[in-house]
Amino acid sequence: MAEKIETMVPGNVWKVMVKPGDKVASGDVLFILEVMKTEVPHTADAGGTVTAVHIVEGQEGVDAGTVAVEIG
Amino acid sequence: MFEVVQPGLETSIQDYPGRIGFWNQGFPPSGPMDSWSFRLANLLVGNEPGAAGLECQYMGPTLKFQRAGVIAITGADMQPKLDGQLIAMWESVAVKAGQTLALGPAKLGTRAYIAFAGGINTPEWLGSRSTFHKAGVGGMEGRALKPKQIVPVTSAKGTTGRKVKPEARPTFATDKRWTIEVVPGPNDDWIDKAGHERFLSTDWKLSAKSDRTGFRLDGPQWTFTEKATNKAPEHGAEPSNIIDQGYPLGAINLAGQTPIILVNDGPSMGGFICPYTVPSAAFWKLGQSKPGEVYRFQSISVDKAQELRKRLNALCSASSIV
Repeated sequence: MAEKIETMVPGNVWKVMVKPGDKVASGDVLFILEVMKTEVPHTADAGGTVTAVHIVEGQEGVDAGTVAVEIG
Repeated sequence: MFEVVQPGLETSIQDYPGRIGFWNQGFPPSGPMDSWSFRLANLLVGNEPGAAGLECQYMGPTLKFQRAGVIAITGADMQPKLDGQLIAMWESVAVKAGQTLALGPAKLGTRAYIAFAGGINTPEWLGSRSTFHKAGVGGMEGRALKPKQIVPVTSAKGTTGRKVKPEARPTFATDKRWTIEVVPGPNDDWIDKAGHERFLSTDWKLSAKSDRTGFRLDGPQWTFTEKATNKAPEHGAEPSNIIDQGYPLGAINLAGQTPIILVNDGPSMGGFICPYTVPSAAFWKLGQSKPGEVYRFQSISVDKAQELRKRLNALCSASSIV
């Protein structure tokens, strides 16, 4: 089932751990945002294959609720 | 009493007005950034407006109650759920032993407040329960909440179904733009006329590198008077350097070319100029804004700032609750 991972907080993109084609399991960290000088990891709710990544490391000022990673 | 299941993002115990009277020794007041929402939450559950409660930032915690009680949630909309059912904000709500309260990401606003009838009863440090994590004091073990901690709450009855009058609630910006009042000084005479005009007519963007110590702003360059450019060497090399001085709470501190608003956990002194100061009555707007949102600053007098503070204090009273 397709899953879209949205950013939970606004902030800067600190690290992106996945690229399209990667297989991920439920609970795997996909990317980490930075807000209030704190790392906020975002994880996959379900396993699958990454179909799209819409953020890049170092990107600043990403809004909350932005679709960041899609898993097919 | 409740147990912390998930701590959320830097959720901390705060009381109001916080740790007052130790600024000269370097201790900031701490306390809730949006004291308006915070005080209303306490009034809803029948507490004194300053009783210790939780400040939740960006992403709220999940808590499990070990005893029945009454709670109220105000501030940012984190879609609070009790055992999976959405519950009302700005209203006192009954909770039973064993029930789980879960707050999600902030939808509107940034900081939510949870008050518990009776108030959180952790030990006071220098007269306050507020967490000041930079010094590791106050709150639970001097830090943000951690999983499995048991937070003590004083036993009290509280009444359910009390609400905040709609006109007594703060209104959060839905267009990402905030007007923030400022009072000129203490070092306004170090900035030239063009610099002042630029400051007051620019959209300043809040940086993600902002926390309860300082709110960093992105915007244009500053220009200075001769006071900044032609000064005794002990002031330092940069135009924004000044011989170490005390900072007012809310100072817009100019570090090189970057303005940083010194907020609740900020430093009490240092060697940068402070051309403007945000008055306490405008702090709630800082507390509810997000990185990427825009500030426009509006210069007001000290008298006006005090009038705004009195008006805010009047709203944070029993007359706002029905």
